[in-house]
Amino acid sequence: MKKTLANVFKSIIFLCLLGLAIATSIVILKRKESDYKYTDFFNEAKKDHIDVLFMGSSHVINAINPVFLFEEYGITSYNMGGHGAMLQATYWELREALEYCTPKWVVVDTYMLEKNIRYLDNREEFDDEDEVNTSVEQLHLNMDAWPLNDLKRAAIDDLIQDESVKNEFLYEFIIYHNRWKYLNEDDFKTITGTANRNRLFGAEMRYDVELDPELYPDVTESDLLTEDTVGTEYLEKIIELCQERGIPVVLTYYPFSADTKDQAAAIRAGEIAENYDVPYINMLNLDVIDLYSDLNDHGHLNVVGSKKVTDYMGQWLSEAGDFADHRGDDDYAYWQECVENFNKELDDVLFDEDNLYIKLDLLNLEDYNFVLYVNGNSPVFLDSFLKRMIVNSSMSDKVESTSGPYILIKDNSTRQIYEACESEEIYSMSTALGTLNYRPVEQYFRLLYSDEDPDTNYLYDESHYLEDIQLIIYNDDGEIVEHDYYKSNGGNYVR
Amino acid sequence: MQFVSKEFLIFLPVVVAINYIIPRKFKYIWLFITSLFFYVSVDVKSAVVLVASIALAYGFGIMLEKNKASENNKNGKGILILAITVHIAILIACKYLNFIEKTVLSIAGRGEDAIGLNLLATLGVSFYMLKIIGYLIDVYRGDIIAEKNPIKLGLYVSFFPQITQGPIERAKNMLPQFNFPLTVDFDMLRNGLLEIIWGYFLKLVVADRLAIYVNNVYSDPEVAVGFTTLVATLFYTFEIYTDFAGYSHIAIGISRILGIDVMDNFNCPYLSGSIAGFWRRWHISLSTWLRDYLYIPLGGNRKGTARKYINIMIVFAVSGLWHGADWTFVVWGVLHGFFQVIGYVLRPLRDKLVDVFKVERNAFSHRTLKIMVTFLLVNFAWVFFRASSLGQALVIIKNSFVFTPWMLADGSLFKYGLDSADFFVAIVGLIIVIATDLVSYNGFIIRERILKQGIWIRYIIGIAAIVAILVFGIWGPGYDSAAFIYQQF
Repeated sequence: MKKTLANVFKSIIFLCLLGLAIATSIVILKRKESDYKYTDFFNEAKKDHIDVLFMGSSHVINAINPVFLFEEYGITSYNMGGHGAMLQATYWELREALEYCTPKWVVVDTYMLEKNIRYLDNREEFDDEDEVNTSVEQLHLNMDAWPLNDLKRAAIDDLIQDESVKNEFLYEFIIYHNRWKYLNEDDFKTITGTANRNRLFGAEMRYDVELDPELYPDVTESDLLTEDTVGTEYLEKIIELCQERGIPVVLTYYPFSADTKDQAAAIRAGEIAENYDVPYINMLNLDVIDLYSDLNDHGHLNVVGSKKVTDYMGQWLSEAGDFADHRGDDDYAYWQECVENFNKELDDVLFDEDNLYIKLDLLNLEDYNFVLYVNGNSPVFLDSFLKRMIVNSSMSDKVESTSGPYILIKDNSTRQIYEACESEEIYSMSTALGTLNYRPVEQYFRLLYSDEDPDTNYLYDESHYLEDIQLIIYNDDGEIVEHDYYKSNGGNYVR
Repeated sequence: MQFVSKEFLIFLPVVVAINYIIPRKFKYIWLFITSLFFYVSVDVKSAVVLVASIALAYGFGIMLEKNKASENNKNGKGILILAITVHIAILIACKYLNFIEKTVLSIAGRGEDAIGLNLLATLGVSFYMLKIIGYLIDVYRGDIIAEKNPIKLGLYVSFFPQITQGPIERAKNMLPQFNFPLTVDFDMLRNGLLEIIWGYFLKLVVADRLAIYVNNVYSDPEVAVGFTTLVATLFYTFEIYTDFAGYSHIAIGISRILGIDVMDNFNCPYLSGSIAGFWRRWHISLSTWLRDYLYIPLGGNRKGTARKYINIMIVFAVSGLWHGADWTFVVWGVLHGFFQVIGYVLRPLRDKLVDVFKVERNAFSHRTLKIMVTFLLVNFAWVFFRASSLGQALVIIKNSFVFTPWMLADGSLFKYGLDSADFFVAIVGLIIVIATDLVSYNGFIIRERILKQGIWIRYIIGIAAIVAILVFGIWGPGYDSAAFIYQQF
């Protein structure tokens, strides 16, 4: 009997250790994208630090930056957007989120309202196999972080049709055990809770510029979305859910290069908002972004576009809601840390970036001062895309009507913009670099010097005299932080 | 329900737990019920064939026993022939009608007219028919007394760990155990579980990983030329070993934790120094069955050299056909028979060479050479076993001989489903398998050594093995790791 008891005890110990080893393996091997996105949600929700939830698809992920919102308005928010998330996925995402926090406002983007796909794994409803796989894979980003409970089971039951695919969401190890070959430092740091996480509170910033977005015909009467879809059904459920819980909700349609069906969906979203008496912001109709510089691709905003949309929403929320300004509050020190972290990231991106279009776009976002000089007869003057970027910075059309040379000095420290072209000279420009003077002399020689240091010609270097573009970035202390030379190679500007 | 399924992982502990608490004299009833449940869970129609076969075996066994008791036992042979004929007829109806139809129509030049005549694709029919036939012959010979209890006979035929892939146990080993099953103690439990874990490792980590590469090469053999094909043939040689041996270890381990001792089925086969030696170590339950119930009744080696060679060829042709209803399997079997006959024919010459060159027979180098030659012959024959047709087998063999050693270094090997990481795990798995066989070959049973270690070492090994199977095993969505290769036979 004694031996039997000892054996039972040993077996229990073994099973406990085995369970621990398997649990550790599950944690290490789990794909971390979802944890990466939501770790700070759980942390901040626990502290009741979330004022606003932004719900929706990848359009939201790229359009709303909670760090901007905190930095500019002191409002705390979390970007719950999911890549490829249709409104039924958004609904369940909100259900899950509301288990952890009660925000002051919920902002729901209505992109993909027209989608009439009931189950995300229904192969008959998608155009091809890849779309189904992408749809299922993207749902993992939304779902993996939530613990396994009745709510998650209900969500998966509602979103997924195939039993084996459901199991992939409920018991993720069956798919993630294969990740052993992709393990990295973060996978192991998850055990100690020190893994990397999204410091933008769920947002993701993109840094490309879509120079030539496609434009679509305006919506006509015959294009309107009149039928109910799975998207409209779940949008209504979302509104009802918020209203049941007494949480104000605002619907949005963030800007992008919208085709006719998107425009029709945006109109329908407005009708639903009206039916439920909730506010609606259709940014397709508002002049919030510049389509030619603020898109990363035809559907997603880049960081500059995100700044503009977040600013707009910040302004709107500040007026509509009763939000405390958390800036300077010690309890929100982590938010401030994330602001600084992101600003440093922006600096890094700016200085690492080789693409002149993106660099100029980012300079519109950053507080840096810069000098842009373009040689006479440079191909830049035939490049409408780059000229558009310059116009965005100079706020004038001067560059459009010249063949150079051209100079733009944008000095944020004095809030002055100076511009000259061809034989124009400018003197006594007040900048952080000093009092600058500009004088073009000949094709490959020009003068830019300060009264304080007249011996330094900022625009001439013998080793770079053939490069036709110069970009000098300097800070408010008058320190030059970067001086780049670019050569035009058929529109491909090489640093 | 398969051994590699979540249902089985629930089923097995329940069966073991209840078996543990049931009184000894009733355990066989529980095991019979669970065995039928296991089989029905795979295919209800096949279960009908199984139950009918058991009923027939029971009836013929009783008839043979009664006839033995009669004065001159004059009808015994007739009853046995009838019984064997009936069971072989069932086997043919379930497995070989397509093959016969296809062969006959091909000879008539109308191969494409085949419509598929097999009555049922019955799981494990080849295995349990050999058990039944062996039982009836044993009863006829008087080696055992016919089983009076139909449930016990039914359990012998349908015992769930063995039903789909063996080992093809003998009635005289199994039936007494059903009467007096062992009480499973803690040591038996640990021993059995370790054997099961080893079986799952072989199957999920090694065999199924190798299968990915092999299947990719064999699915389009014209594309893979050179060393990639050669590697595929080598991988298949190990795939079928680790797959089948994996199953056998699981079956033996499960039997052990149910208190039933089952014969070993593999004993380091690829370390054999001859083809005859290979068959003493590969699928032992089948090769001994063929020896006892076919080779020896045919006359074995007692009727002269020529007859011995003919008997060998017959036995291996039957073995090939038993494995699968296709000429590729027949060729595989005949090749093995041919290798053995040639081995015997050339023995004087080989002995002469050994004398002339003063080769020390027990020298490591000589033994290694014999093992390598045997391995390559076995490897060659497996190509026919794996190929979907004789033509495909010839293409694979031809491609294997194209000399492209750079493919070992230029990444070509990673284009057939296994990336470098998976390839690395496959190679590590193979090294573990080979190392284990090498120490087992020298009489060192790793499982027993592990069980003699201190508790923390045992725990570490056990936990590491289970976690390794879960992590590195080929299972989950996108993989069909449930089916074992030999199951199709």
